Amino acid sequence: MKKKITPYLLVSPYIIHFLVFVAFPVGFSIYLTFNDWNIISPMEFIGLGNYKRLFNDPIFWKSLSNTLIFLLIHIPLQIIVALFLAEMLNQKIKFRGFFRAAFFLPVIVSGVVVTILWQQLYGFDTGLLNRLLVKLGLIKIGWLTDPSWAMPSIAVMATWKNVGLYTVLFLVGLQTVPPQYYEAADLEGATHFQKFFRITLPMINPTIFMVVVLSTIGGFSLFIEPYVMTGGGPLNSTISAVLYIYKQGFFYYHMGYATTLGLFFALLILSVVMIQKKFVEKDK
Amino acid sequence: MKKLILYISLTTGAILFLYPFIWMVSASLAPESEIGNLIFLPSQISFGSYFQMFDKIPIGKAFVNSMIVACAVTFGVLVFGSMVGYALSRLEFKGRNLIFYIVIFTMTLPFQITLIPQYILIVKFGWVDSYAALIVPYLMNALAIIMFRQYFKTIPQDLIDAARIDGCGELRIIFGILWPNSIPALVTVAMITFMASWNEVLWPLIVIRDENLMTMPQLVTLFAVGGRAESQLGVKLAAATMLALPIIIAYTFFQKYFIQSMASSGIKE
Amino acid sequence: MFLFVSVYLISCSSNERRSNSKIILWSSNNTEEIEYARYIVNEWNKNNPEEKVSFQPVPEGQSSEEIILAAVVGKTTPDIYSNMWEGDVEAYAQAGVLVALDTLDGFMELLHERCDNSAIEEVTSPDGHIYQIPWKINPIMLIYNSNIVEQLKLSNPPATYSEFFAAAKEFQKDSDNDGYIDHWFGYAEVLVTWWQRFFDFYPLYLAASDGAPLIKNNKAAFNNEAARKVFEFLRELYKNSYFPKERLSARQDVFLDGVIATRFTGPWEISHTEKFKPSGFKYDFSFMPVPDNHKGPVYTYGDPKNIVIFKTCPNPNLAWKILKFALSDKNDLKFLEITNQLPRRKNLDIDPLYADYFKKNPKMKIFAEQSKYVKGTDQSPVLKEVFDLISQEYEACVIYGVKTPEEALNDAEKAVNLLFLK
Repeated sequence: MKKKITPYLLVSPYIIHFLVFVAFPVGFSIYLTFNDWNIISPMEFIGLGNYKRLFNDPIFWKSLSNTLIFLLIHIPLQIIVALFLAEMLNQKIKFRGFFRAAFFLPVIVSGVVVTILWQQLYGFDTGLLNRLLVKLGLIKIGWLTDPSWAMPSIAVMATWKNVGLYTVLFLVGLQTVPPQYYEAADLEGATHFQKFFRITLPMINPTIFMVVVLSTIGGFSLFIEPYVMTGGGPLNSTISAVLYIYKQGFFYYHMGYATTLGLFFALLILSVVMIQKKFVEKDK
Repeated sequence: MKKLILYISLTTGAILFLYPFIWMVSASLAPESEIGNLIFLPSQISFGSYFQMFDKIPIGKAFVNSMIVACAVTFGVLVFGSMVGYALSRLEFKGRNLIFYIVIFTMTLPFQITLIPQYILIVKFGWVDSYAALIVPYLMNALAIIMFRQYFKTIPQDLIDAARIDGCGELRIIFGILWPNSIPALVTVAMITFMASWNEVLWPLIVIRDENLMTMPQLVTLFAVGGRAESQLGVKLAAATMLALPIIIAYTFFQKYFIQSMASSGIKE
Repeated sequence: MFLFVSVYLISCSSNERRSNSKIILWSSNNTEEIEYARYIVNEWNKNNPEEKVSFQPVPEGQSSEEIILAAVVGKTTPDIYSNMWEGDVEAYAQAGVLVALDTLDGFMELLHERCDNSAIEEVTSPDGHIYQIPWKINPIMLIYNSNIVEQLKLSNPPATYSEFFAAAKEFQKDSDNDGYIDHWFGYAEVLVTWWQRFFDFYPLYLAASDGAPLIKNNKAAFNNEAARKVFEFLRELYKNSYFPKERLSARQDVFLDGVIATRFTGPWEISHTEKFKPSGFKYDFSFMPVPDNHKGPVYTYGDPKNIVIFKTCPNPNLAWKILKFALSDKNDLKFLEITNQLPRRKNLDIDPLYADYFKKNPKMKIFAEQSKYVKGTDQSPVLKEVFDLISQEYEACVIYGVKTPEEALNDAEKAVNLLFLK
């Protein structure tokens, strides 16, 4: 008797939690997208009003394009650097643990700390990078104040922060490649490059796929970096979708509209991940 | 020769990743005027920035808040995660597959869609500006459930049978038998959960308005973004150092576990 | 566990509030305003022991506006809040959490006695009711370094755009010859944040347009000649480096250092300047610059803060009686003396009751004169967002020069009208 209901008792907290914090929000989300609401006033049904607004909202689309720019820079950079570092770590070296730990450090530190630090790097007048440039006789660059540089600057910072994690993942992947393949290639006189492109890459394709997916999801969640560094500027070049949703929901209290943006964005993410699954995984 | 290049590259890399943090600590301990030109070590150690910081913001309280929340969430995730993981891995019951798919579903669900309704729930429950708002929504973690399920599957059935014969209830089995035999899983889940909870900023920004309840990253964010530290870089850096310090200290001791945990969680995805 | 503790704590605090006093007042966190609130509360309680009022400064948080919102949502609002920014009121009024003050006994009489018609019109909501009492203003004006104005051989501080440009050109210099200008005639923060516009665009717009609104009848009303001239004025200032594009806020006070000669600021600048000015430093205030062909008085933004009564108040009539007491002419004088901020009262510059104060504080006199021509904000629940959208076009046109003023204003108008799209 007791055994029959025990499993249900065990999972019941989870089910309750799921219903309250997941199922209900998703359902309520969809309902809310058809309303106008600022929490303190009663809800006002407006049909497709929010959707109309979404499609006419230049800033939302800019935020999506900003996110895209971010991903286009961040993901390839991430893969190249992480793979490079992992390759190096995979060689017979001493102090591997130390190096690995050093690369990994930014991963565990809060994004806020990283952002504050890089602000010092990117500062126009007194930032380290510009001071260096001036010393070398070059002109200062508006890393965060020039609309064409701002998002790329953030993308580089994000890469620095996360590359340690992906290096470790690649390292694990690299270590699963059977050494016999390399030995066989050595016998045939293959160069390092040939070994890399013909053996290593195909073998770690699943890891590459995982890195792409994780970076994508991470990139779509971009929030704290633009929030702290640029507030979304200059000229809205760094406003990420999440930052914009946050602004709409918690700065202007347009709950209905913010939820509509969130729903649209969530569906977008799901589609992108599914597309990636189809292409990146099959490809190699 | 090749080895030399290798070591040089690796060391350069290590410097690239470590130097900013060293600079940060250094600058936070330097007198305000020197920070602009600081490269490595200040000429004298000054705690001025730290004193000012403690004066301006309740960073000690924020540390306590973060601790409370992170520990509570980690504990909750370990307990509830293992409960569900156990049920899914070792018990037969109707709806088992359904629940498993629900768990997977929540893992793929982007948070952007539940963010606002969850906030509204918090408002309706009257939990704005409370620990409940920071803890309860995070008590269940799909990744933890999957990891526990995976790990519990590898535990020999005989252990469990033996415990049952001894008259152990299911909960006793989980905490008395499975837990001692799942230390790697426990450590992994605990580390990931604690770290994620500690570094979480967006959610506290949304549900906590009262300064005394803010978590550390939240307080430091507002300090850095808002006007109160505006011109004083030293104070900002002191706050950033305080925020980074606990995790870095934990990292120096448990570095292996950190890396292993995050790597295996990535693989599970 | 935590659940129970937090629910318990929440219910605890709401019960405590009512135990001693009939009315609870929240003041701002400003030290002088706290002192003033304490004075009023003590005076009232002395003479009305049966109907005590208690006060506390608004709780500390990210911003007082957020705390108020949290209080409204959590239904823990005070009875009276004395520091609400005029731009916030309409949203709360439409949410039905504020008492319609015009329904209270004696309100309209006092309002007409204390405030002029334009102020009264300004605070009237679109639904015809009045939900706020004009309390205080801090008009934005031009502060200028008298020594520099003298050096430039100007007969008066620049009053029109042309005069401003001419003076700026004269004053601009690169003192250390490093190729970068380091002395500018004026300075306005190049932040895109919406509230920054209250210190550059908005006061200039009000001056140029004689107090025209930004929004009217749920439509953008700012795409006009005045706004265009203001955008052009500011754009030229940045283009010619008369104003710096970099942020100078990280340095020592640039006005006191003589690095800049003017700023758009309010009366709060006086106490700061008096405290830190170097010896021999002379300064004064003048009106906001206007387009060359402008005639008539110069308007500006008054940064008005008003008083509201929340519907959660158990006795609005008593709350109103207390406010009537606080807003008497003698208590307005006390406010002026304690905080050095202007009560929004008409005839401040000619009323003999205040003459003594202005004799002792001559720099404040011009603000009292300006108070006749001061505008607050339009009554709209989306005001913040309107300013945000204008700020974004401001950034594109004025600071980055990628749009003409016409394009910028057209885009801003389109974006703002989208807000009212349902």
